[in-house]
Amino acid sequence: MREYLLILKGDGMKNLSPSELQGMFQDYQSWVEKLGEKYLGGQRLEENGALLKSQEAEILTDGPFLEAKEIIAGYFLIQAESLEDAIQIGKSSPHLGLYQIEVRPLVWPKMK
Amino acid sequence: MENNVHLIDQLFRTEYGKLVSTLTRLFGTAHIQLAEDVVQDALIAALDKWSVEGIPKNPSAWLMQVAKRKALNELKRNQMMLGHELGIANSQNDLDQIGTVFMPNEIEDSQLRMIFTCCHPALNTESQIALTLKTLCGFGIQEVANALLSSKSTINKRLFRAKEALRKMNAPFTIPSGAELNSRLQSVTTTLYLLFNEGYNASSGDNIIQKEFCLEALRLCKLLEKRFTKNPEIRALLALMCFHVSRFDARLDTQGGIIIFEEQDRSLWNKKLIQKGMQYLQASMNETKLTSYHLEAGIAGQHCIAESFEKTDWKSIYANYQLLEKLKPSPIIRLNLAIIQSKLTGLESSLALLGDLESSDVLNNYHLLPATQGIFLLKLGQEELGKSYLQKALKMATSKRERDYIKSLIH
Repeated sequence: MREYLLILKGDGMKNLSPSELQGMFQDYQSWVEKLGEKYLGGQRLEENGALLKSQEAEILTDGPFLEAKEIIAGYFLIQAESLEDAIQIGKSSPHLGLYQIEVRPLVWPKMK
Repeated sequence: MENNVHLIDQLFRTEYGKLVSTLTRLFGTAHIQLAEDVVQDALIAALDKWSVEGIPKNPSAWLMQVAKRKALNELKRNQMMLGHELGIANSQNDLDQIGTVFMPNEIEDSQLRMIFTCCHPALNTESQIALTLKTLCGFGIQEVANALLSSKSTINKRLFRAKEALRKMNAPFTIPSGAELNSRLQSVTTTLYLLFNEGYNASSGDNIIQKEFCLEALRLCKLLEKRFTKNPEIRALLALMCFHVSRFDARLDTQGGIIIFEEQDRSLWNKKLIQKGMQYLQASMNETKLTSYHLEAGIAGQHCIAESFEKTDWKSIYANYQLLEKLKPSPIIRLNLAIIQSKLTGLESSLALLGDLESSDVLNNYHLLPATQGIFLLKLGQEELGKSYLQKALKMATSKRERDYIKSLIH
């Protein structure tokens, strides 16, 4: 087993109605249940934070800094047998469609 | 959480409109989109938290608290303090004062301002309805698109343009007053009437009634009535809505199929709503002004109080339709007059009038004309001809339920 980060990009939940949102959350919960121990965690991100380009550059805080479809909306941390397995997990996510999902293996061993 | 789906849905739909209206008041009409984004964010945060921890005791208050905090952050971040209509929050110290717009009375006031803004005469009717559904009724883009027989991208564009138009004209977020009020109220009632109609006779999809549309229109209309208590037009419209909604449970069978008016179980009609409708209708008669809403409510009310289909006071309904035809002549009203003629002088004379209507451009593609002709002919024992009319109606009908019903008559 190896750890993978699924990075969600876009603003897919912005235009969902309350009932659509609820459906989304329910699907998400059962998805997590189904993954069991393969699901390690996940979190949504606020749209606005700060962008640090370099020590000298002005600190940007009036984000979002990217096009809507490129905004990182959140992430899931999973463990999977292989990249193929991780891709399948990403594919089964109810978030796919609303968001693009980037599947990236974490480098092993970990940075110390 | 499963059991709470409906609860949360209801809560979110009404809270969405309240909060978007309130935040638009803080941000100004140029920033409706921002208000929507902030509220959407609050909804997502709520679902996120509640799905783990359960629903809090006072979910509305919880949502409002989150929305308020997010709104404050936005105000600080965008420094939109200057120029927004409250004009109180010119410095950081005044931020606390924005709390007053979150008081119940003020929220209602904001919703009314939002109704007038959405129904701004500079926007076309379709944009008005789309904007009302989106901002006041918490519909998603896809749901608005379904409702208006349109695509998601078209609705997106339309909403974007409408918001742009409001921003460019710097539309004030106020309730019009004086001479302007009456004409503005008229476009508001028209929009609510159309919204209600769209729900009452859904032209697309599997359901013939989109109950939620009707209930939303009713809710907004009640809000108007509360403020403009003496307005006969609003009261008449409200009466009309009450009468129609009272019959919802009787209009569909357990599978969602149509039960035609004649065959509805009248004991399922909601007596309380009928009574409410009567009260509104009576109150609307105090003034001399007679609107089409009065007449339509009068007709619907007559049906509601008739003991049975046979005992309906067709003469009075006919008279109301005649007045309606004088007030706003339309082929649809003439179609109704022709149908009621059958109750007064028989099916043959009615069929003759219906035949005359075939040349009308408006009715040319309207399935209810050949459907009525077909049904009447069947009643007269003219199977062959009747069914050919029903075939014609089948080709024109767009709603699945109506098509199912027509099919059941042919086979």
